[in-house]
Amino acid sequence: MGLFDEQLTEVKRFLSEARRAGGVREFRAFSTPAWPAESSLVLEEDTAIELGNPQTVSLSLLLWTGGHAVEDGLISLVGPDVGESGELSLPFAQVLMVRGSFEDEYESYQALRDAVYDTRLSGFMVRTRPSKHSLWCRVAREALEQGFSLRYLGAAFVKRLKEVPSASGVEVLFVTSSLDDVERLSGAAAEARRIIEAMMKMYEEKSFDCETCEYRDVCDGVMELKKIREKLAGEKAV
Amino acid sequence: MRDMILAVCGKGGVGKTTVTAVAARELCRLKSTKALVVDADPGGGLEMALSIKPNKTLNDVRKELIEEVKEGKRDERDLAVSLDYLLAEALTEVGNLAFLSIGRPEDEGCYCKVNVLLKDAIAGLAGRFDVTVIDAEAGIEQVNRRVMGEVDYVLLVSDTSTKGIRVGETIKQVADRMVKGEGAGLLINRVLDERAVDLIKASTFLEVIGWIPEDDTIRRFDEEDKSFFDLPDCPAVVSIRNAFEKVGLV
Repeated sequence: MGLFDEQLTEVKRFLSEARRAGGVREFRAFSTPAWPAESSLVLEEDTAIELGNPQTVSLSLLLWTGGHAVEDGLISLVGPDVGESGELSLPFAQVLMVRGSFEDEYESYQALRDAVYDTRLSGFMVRTRPSKHSLWCRVAREALEQGFSLRYLGAAFVKRLKEVPSASGVEVLFVTSSLDDVERLSGAAAEARRIIEAMMKMYEEKSFDCETCEYRDVCDGVMELKKIREKLAGEKAV
Repeated sequence: MRDMILAVCGKGGVGKTTVTAVAARELCRLKSTKALVVDADPGGGLEMALSIKPNKTLNDVRKELIEEVKEGKRDERDLAVSLDYLLAEALTEVGNLAFLSIGRPEDEGCYCKVNVLLKDAIAGLAGRFDVTVIDAEAGIEQVNRRVMGEVDYVLLVSDTSTKGIRVGETIKQVADRMVKGEGAGLLINRVLDERAVDLIKASTFLEVIGWIPEDDTIRRFDEEDKSFFDLPDCPAVVSIRNAFEKVGLV
């Protein structure tokens, strides 16, 4: 059992349904050339397309597991790529799934999260709002002319996340098809956020009074959180 | 990437906002230069001069971050990336130029972590633009706060009054201690008679880098609430442009 088993199942179900509907394109990270890494400032007038603009909907999800549900190097895209849409703005979901051996969930979370924050590509500006699980990206016109696509972004995430010592496989899903499709993943995103918050509270506050804890319902539903609690409470008692 | 951060400082009512607005106009014409213009005057006069309506102010961003700190669910790294997002939302873009308004600060208690993050983030944001121009609050208070420590050049604006020049001198003395860059110069505004400039030069230790003639076009744009982006090349605009060329801003 892992922290995010239910959310991973939900994402995989979403992907299966999209596949059955013929709406998924797949790329392999390991056969994708690297896009130049660089932190970019992309102003509106230089922007070809925006993903997850605050006026639309966006979602960012980072899940990790010790199980085998993650297909290493797979990048799935549901919806148009950045160079294919005639629109100036698209809704956006980014789901990063990491397989590995995560003995210390808190340290693993921080290492994986930092790897995500540190993934920056030339001509692609990304803004993240962790508290809202939202994401706002801009693709520069120049980058698009040079052939930038979400495949390069996915491959960069795979490469960077696999540099985290405990990670052994990374799978990426991007959704740009519609507001409804992005919203379909919002339940999993909200649950994942609560799980992470509950875990952070345990590690940072070292308070284990379940009677007064706002996350009691989360821990009741996620066996792995109970294990973390027992481990930390045991350490505190020593 | 950063070439210059310039702060426009001086006594209240001497024309700092006019000078900054003309800087914005000039920078907007240099298409290849990415410029950040910061309205650090809580009065918000610059946004009126440029007819810009900011989406949110830096103070709105600060309030949102304080809420997140109160919730206690974010560590410093999360807060820093949240700030990056919120700052991007607070930027109002006009072509190659981005505008950031500080807004009117309210007493929210002590949130040092947020204030330190903000200071670093503004410096970081400025570092991603070719040039940054700050329309500072009147007087000396702001010179040693927020982004001011990173300023390369302090442009002191004064009218021909002795009081205006003295305030400029005081700001220069404070800036010598508090500001990273060593550059500073005086731009004299609303000059009716060129002989006044010679008198000022003889009475101050400040380097006079230029003077702006009294100009009805500026007054008319101000009174008619027209955007300074649309100012013609009137004598005042030409003088301000010359001063900016002299300090290397444009």
